[in-house]
Amino acid sequence: MERNKPLILVVEDDRQIQKFICYALESEGYPYITAGTGQEAISRLMSEHAEIMLLDLGLPDYDGLSIIKKVRQWSDIPILVVSARDQDREKAAALDSGADDYLTKPFSTTELLARIRVALRHLQKIGAGNTQAVLQVGGLQIDLERRLVHLDGVQIHVTPMEYSLLALLFRHMGKVLTTAFIIKEIWGPAYGTDTQALRALMAGLRRKIEKDHARPRYILTEVGVGYRLADE
Amino acid sequence: MKKSIRFRAGAGKKAICSILFLIGTFLAASVVGYLFRRIGFDETNIVLVYLLAVLATAWFTHSFVFGVLSSFLATFLFSYIFAQPEFTFLVDDANNYIVTFVIMTLTALITSALTSHARQSECAARVKEAQTKAIYALTNRLTGAKDMDDIAGAAVASISACFSCQAACLCFDSTGMPQRSFVQQVSSDLQVHRKLEENQQEYKDALEAVAPNCLKGKEFYDWPILGKETILGVIRIPSVAQVDGTGERLLRAMIEGTALAMDRHWSARQQMQFREETAKERYRSNLLRAISHDLRTPLAGIIGSCEMLLDMTDTGSPQYAIAADMHKETIWLHSLVENILSLTRLQDGSLSLSKQVEAVEEIIAGAVRRMAKRAPECIIHVDIPEKLILVPMDAKLIEQVLINLLSNAVLHANVKDPVDIIVSENTAEKTVQFVVQDRGVGIVEEDLPHIFEMFYTRGRGHADAGQGIGLGLAICETIVQAHGGKIIAENRKDGPGARFTFTLPVEE
Repeated sequence: MERNKPLILVVEDDRQIQKFICYALESEGYPYITAGTGQEAISRLMSEHAEIMLLDLGLPDYDGLSIIKKVRQWSDIPILVVSARDQDREKAAALDSGADDYLTKPFSTTELLARIRVALRHLQKIGAGNTQAVLQVGGLQIDLERRLVHLDGVQIHVTPMEYSLLALLFRHMGKVLTTAFIIKEIWGPAYGTDTQALRALMAGLRRKIEKDHARPRYILTEVGVGYRLADE
Repeated sequence: MKKSIRFRAGAGKKAICSILFLIGTFLAASVVGYLFRRIGFDETNIVLVYLLAVLATAWFTHSFVFGVLSSFLATFLFSYIFAQPEFTFLVDDANNYIVTFVIMTLTALITSALTSHARQSECAARVKEAQTKAIYALTNRLTGAKDMDDIAGAAVASISACFSCQAACLCFDSTGMPQRSFVQQVSSDLQVHRKLEENQQEYKDALEAVAPNCLKGKEFYDWPILGKETILGVIRIPSVAQVDGTGERLLRAMIEGTALAMDRHWSARQQMQFREETAKERYRSNLLRAISHDLRTPLAGIIGSCEMLLDMTDTGSPQYAIAADMHKETIWLHSLVENILSLTRLQDGSLSLSKQVEAVEEIIAGAVRRMAKRAPECIIHVDIPEKLILVPMDAKLIEQVLINLLSNAVLHANVKDPVDIIVSENTAEKTVQFVVQDRGVGIVEEDLPHIFEMFYTRGRGHADAGQGIGLGLAICETIVQAHGGKIIAENRKDGPGARFTFTLPVEE
């Protein structure tokens, strides 16, 4: 196994799914360690230097949220949440309490590895200080210093609000941002949870940057959770 | 109710009695007066004796008419027998006697009026008291009754005792039809069953026609027991025991009491049945959910294992084909299990809607993206207005509706034929309409009414379960209805294919 790849902690109580995840990780050459309970996960995280954590929300001893909160007290390790389909609300709550991304069961190896790559890129950016002023996804480019947006090389006009939204998404490229998080970042914590303004703002922005708003290329909707800027 | 109260009139008999009493009293009064005269008492005493006779008559007969009659009779007898000269209507001292006659007549009139009035109110009070007692006793017995037979028994016992007859009761069953036999009171402590001679339906119709009055037969009068909605039973009274006005009021009150008791009994039974059914339903859905829940995790595991197998084998080998089939079937099974879970949650209310204002285009995009992941080969055409449409909804659930409809369309149509999603806003009705249509074989006409039923799949009994999505459409209907919307299924008029349309209200 290559040692330059980061160590991944797999927290999953179902043996079959654990095996499947490990198989996928192995095939890509990621080193990994496993834990079957929340307790074990915490202790392994303390004793070994894992760099990414894959966490099942339905563990037998702790619920996922409390583990995330506990881990976040002393670690910034990217947390990838694995959940069942009917745990959407928990998923959003997990993202809001500090998880970085989520996967819904059943998922494919491709999906799993893609999410891990996104998490790793973040890790590298944070490591590099993330001082890049110009960020790009496909034909969409944002200049955070000069506050300019270009689409396929042509500068497009966006309103200040639309710019803040796009900048926020670019700063968390590839990561799911929950609606609650975006509203708090753009309108401030006093605004509440009304989604209407965000939906309208998003629709306006999409009409400027997406060719087909039923099949967006850049800003993807994670229905019931939030938005994600596609980075692949 | 040992004491029996008679309410039968016997008006003629009573009149004869009164007349006899009147004659006897005045005869006695005249004899006493005559004795007084012989003894040498003053005439005033004789007048008082006659007044006493008036009082007695009024008291005994309870009747104002007899009172008046006796008042005049008293004056007449006094003037005839005792006023000088005796045994003529002539009087010597006219002025004096006229005053006596007038005062005597007036006194007699007033006395008789007061007395008969007092007697009448006393009588009325007694009747009322008896009625109250009878109804109270019946109510008491009805309260203790455990079932319809008990109620019928209590009613006939009370009514029979009250009206001194052999009353009978026939109950109607839960379907609203008369039962086959009456319960009849034959003596104070014996009840028997008596067969209903009439045709049940005809009998019921006849009763309904006369209700709320009684059905008059040759031998019996049948009083319907009217509940809140339907006839609950019949009280049968022999026609010979027919009752007068006061009695009828009492009878009606007693029947009303019985009706109340029967109504109460039925609603209690209905409630119990409803509770039992709810409990059964809950048990069933809990079981279904528990099983589904336990199946879900291993299924997700099997899907992963299949993927591992696929990854390990050559794409051309027979093992790969087997693993691919397993993979496909397991994914289907997993989605079925997920569907059962959401359906049971939705139906028993444990999954509440969390509505937020959502952009329709985002939900469509989400569903299309997930469909593309699941069935990459399918072609989906989206036709959505340029204008932003915002609808309050539970985004995840509506996405699920769209995915179920799309899966259904993909399943029943040729891969090369596109599936359309058309969204339009109806500003007048304040609704948004979603259409999902395909170019497949369409829906068999006889399936159309059942298409949203649970576990209904096209061509029932077909061994290949993978061909139907069973619960998918039932879930769609449940979700759309929970949003206050409507969903319909039809065949396309512009060529072959099925079309599903659902609408959601734009405002809450």
